[in-house]
Amino acid sequence: MLQTRIRQFVASLRTGIISGLIVGLIVNFLILLGIPVNLSNIALLAILLVALVFGVRLARRLRAYGLGHLLRNALAMGLAAALLVLLFMALINRWQERNVKVTDYFYSVTPQTMTVLSGVPASELFANPPRDPLTGAYPEGKPLRTNPMRLTFDSETGLELVDINLVIGGFYGFLIVLILAGVLGTLLAWVFTVARLGQTWKRARAYLATSPQAHIGVLLLPLAFFALLWLTVGHGTYRAATGSYSTINPILNLGGSAQEVQLLIGFAIILFGLVAVRAARPTDSGLSYRARLALCLGIVAVMMGLGLWRIVGSRTYFLATSKALGGSETISVVLTLVVGALLAVQNILRLRTPGRFETQFAGTGAILAVLLMPLYLNQGQNDVMTIVGINVMLGLGLNIVVGYAGLLDLGYVAFFALGAYSYAFLSSNQMEAGADGQPASLKFAGNDEMVVKLAGWVPITVIVTLVVVYLGIRLWRRRPPAERRPWEHQRPLVSYSGRPGGNMTALITVTAILLSALVASLLEGTGLYDRLFASTSPFLVGIIIGTIVAGLSGIALGIPVLRLRGDYLAIVTLGFGEIIRLLFTNLRDYTGGPQGVLEIPRPLPEGATGGVGYLSMVYLVLIGVGVIAFFSLRLKQSRTGRAWSAMKSDEDIAQSMGIHLVQSKLTAFAIGAAFAGIGGVLFAARQRNIYPSDFRLDVSIEVLSLVIIGGMGSVPGVIMGAVALIGVPEVLRQLETYRIMVFGAVLVAMVILRPEGLLPAPVVQLRERARALTHSHYRQEGGEA
Amino acid sequence: MTGQTSGTPVLQATNVTKRFGGLVAVSDLDLTIMPNQIASVIGPNGAGKTTFFNCVSGFYTPEEGEIRFLGHPIQGLRPDQVTARGIARTYQNIHLFQGMTVLENVMVGVHPGLRSTPMGALLRLPLNNIEEEATLAHAYALLDFVGLADFADVLATNLAYGSQRRLEIARALASNPRLLLLDEPTAGMNPQETEDTMRFIRRLRDERDLTVLLIEHDMRVVMGISDQVTVLDYGRKISEGTPDYVQRDPLVIEAYLGTAAEEVDVNLLAT
Repeated sequence: MLQTRIRQFVASLRTGIISGLIVGLIVNFLILLGIPVNLSNIALLAILLVALVFGVRLARRLRAYGLGHLLRNALAMGLAAALLVLLFMALINRWQERNVKVTDYFYSVTPQTMTVLSGVPASELFANPPRDPLTGAYPEGKPLRTNPMRLTFDSETGLELVDINLVIGGFYGFLIVLILAGVLGTLLAWVFTVARLGQTWKRARAYLATSPQAHIGVLLLPLAFFALLWLTVGHGTYRAATGSYSTINPILNLGGSAQEVQLLIGFAIILFGLVAVRAARPTDSGLSYRARLALCLGIVAVMMGLGLWRIVGSRTYFLATSKALGGSETISVVLTLVVGALLAVQNILRLRTPGRFETQFAGTGAILAVLLMPLYLNQGQNDVMTIVGINVMLGLGLNIVVGYAGLLDLGYVAFFALGAYSYAFLSSNQMEAGADGQPASLKFAGNDEMVVKLAGWVPITVIVTLVVVYLGIRLWRRRPPAERRPWEHQRPLVSYSGRPGGNMTALITVTAILLSALVASLLEGTGLYDRLFASTSPFLVGIIIGTIVAGLSGIALGIPVLRLRGDYLAIVTLGFGEIIRLLFTNLRDYTGGPQGVLEIPRPLPEGATGGVGYLSMVYLVLIGVGVIAFFSLRLKQSRTGRAWSAMKSDEDIAQSMGIHLVQSKLTAFAIGAAFAGIGGVLFAARQRNIYPSDFRLDVSIEVLSLVIIGGMGSVPGVIMGAVALIGVPEVLRQLETYRIMVFGAVLVAMVILRPEGLLPAPVVQLRERARALTHSHYRQEGGEA
Repeated sequence: MTGQTSGTPVLQATNVTKRFGGLVAVSDLDLTIMPNQIASVIGPNGAGKTTFFNCVSGFYTPEEGEIRFLGHPIQGLRPDQVTARGIARTYQNIHLFQGMTVLENVMVGVHPGLRSTPMGALLRLPLNNIEEEATLAHAYALLDFVGLADFADVLATNLAYGSQRRLEIARALASNPRLLLLDEPTAGMNPQETEDTMRFIRRLRDERDLTVLLIEHDMRVVMGISDQVTVLDYGRKISEGTPDYVQRDPLVIEAYLGTAAEEVDVNLLAT
């Protein structure tokens, strides 16, 4: 009888005990990871949070039972967890007592661990001095060990939970707090369920989702965060007339954590800018054209005013001229006004079409907030933004290969490296030591000449190609009407005044390239280039050449892997990435080997100094991101983009729909690689010294992670992914030791909780547009079906 | 609708043989289809019907024999080249593109008839813009034709089975083919849906000037709409002709039912 009762009792506690064992294992795992050592100020919080979360989970699982049963299980959970942690820490304590070096066995467990978990300072956690063999007593005057395995109740020895003294100390005190945390979690969850707070929460969410006020709020969010940033930054007033400069203190002073918080506000501006544009609905909110125009132009005017005040007052210039360096202010102001004018014109034109008001409003606000944000951040913060931007470019390029075309590319860093090294070779001022040890010639001989040569070749190629293509098409149209092959009847959907088919286009392209090469080499001999292009910035040439080199190597990678799918493609591309890195490491004579390439200049004119450097870098990166994002969106809604989607879904069926697989895959690789090349050039310009170790496999994996976590195939998603995975860790520097682990944990969590990503691509709604086009088509053709 | 001499067969297969190692899937098959006909290929399972379709649409290359489309040989071409020539096809198991809406699926089918390039998409060339709008209009008109216009923005995989079949046909029609290969278009349909599909195929032949080649198991459909029926068994053609002729052919009856001709009620095949 008693046996059955005991058995039943234990069985009723099964859930609690199992949960407790899991909690104990997790807490031990956290201890082994060194959380109490590396993150000592929040370690206790993290551990108690684990217990709290499992308490909540327990309550949800045992919802159907009564409070008594719940509390018994919660207690059992706490005791089981405490038991496991006790066993482990008792071992640690015994080792410390016996003067065994714990870090030989558990690398990250130091006396600091015991300090955090018991409140005993590390200086008292040593082994006791040896006892006198005769009397068994400790020697006089030697400090004795304080045993952490105790329970105290005073504020001196109490545990510190994020600056709050818990007035309970010793290791047993910690265990009691652990048990209480678990029970507290259970009780909170129970109260939540009983008070039906879940219903209130659901009602609140429904209200937020549908109320018009909330909708307007969402549209205004980027501007709101920009205002917040503006309030937290100090402003300067510089009067050119008197030459006096004074600073106004920030209205919202954040003290020591200003750096991090401002950066987080910057990220919030980006995030909510994307969210606002996504949330915009195709309505006009019942406003007249004038009202809409007034609102949008009003935003432009206000933001422009703020920007100009910032530029002039605080002297934050972002562009320097090579002619008169003092003209930095003028040119920055002029550029700002130009941008403002462009946005105004764009709004005026676009607002004419009905239904575009919300998109324009949200979009203009978001763009202006993002554009003005760097002016209010300091160098370190702008640096973080630059790195995030470069990763966004990489992410968008990989998004095309993996997200649009479904080709799993793990060697993406190779194109990044090629872009970076192209710019490096062209522009590096690295000096090579001569025989006497003194700096002699440039290490990459002839890069100035090369820059001039390439600067000449590129426009020649463009001009000649255009001429050849134009003449080629004119000639082709004059050909005698050929007999149409039977299967060309009804072939092209749209007959657009005659363009030649594939073979003829290829012939024209090849002729154009050869001819332009000929013309360019002829002109080179005349020394024309030196006169025209002597002072071209190597950066401009570098961008073009880097993109081309990366794009061509994308095609070179694509050709051998055409038949591979899935895992095999991943491994082969991974190999390609490693090959490129190893080539750069081992071809010392050509690439500088592991010492890398140094002294790469910033994309600024000679002699430009000061703050302009990092701001111009940020804006270059922003422009790059804008261009690449625009191209990505254009490609998605095009014939190529649909072919990629079809290929991603089912290659064989796509082929039977008439999609040329080779062409599609090579195009995807080439375009993705070209975008990586642009990112690489900007990376080299920012870093100023690049080494092969900057281009390891880790970079590929990181970029792939941010594409997956942000949302595959979604441009805003990739931007968010980069901010979350690259930007946030820069802010939370404390987590540096656990970066890779946090990456993995976030990946796993995202795959379970939100596999489609943070901002997944929405389903394209083309029906209305298609219907309108069909009707206008029919009207044109006189109603023919 | 023009310039097509009615003498040239749309599809002419001669001596087509396809082997997979030791297994002969299709053996010495001759098949001719004239323009604007509905031809059916029937036979027990494993007779080589789908293999023959795959040879025509370019997935397989026959070991021997020739397949001519409008007089020009197409055996050995890639599937996308075959589609560009004007042959479109649907499948036994529905293979719609996942992650894309109904309208987008049909728009993919328009691919061979377009000339837009990726560079044109990036630079917003006029050709690209015109073709985009034409693609949208054409795809929507096709959805209208098959009756799925209201579902244009629904994810293709969320449609009902019958609608998915119609979508597959709309996608195949998007490239303006001359010859349409339908692999078991009425599989899994009830009698009413089968009737609708039969009427639809007749509409295709009449309104859109198509030639249709069917693989079917449902004898009602075969006998009801075909102008010409070819019977395969173990990869060989055992009979060919009008539905009435084929129904009464003792070879066909034996292949399907495995008994001597006299003992079987001839009308069984006519149900």
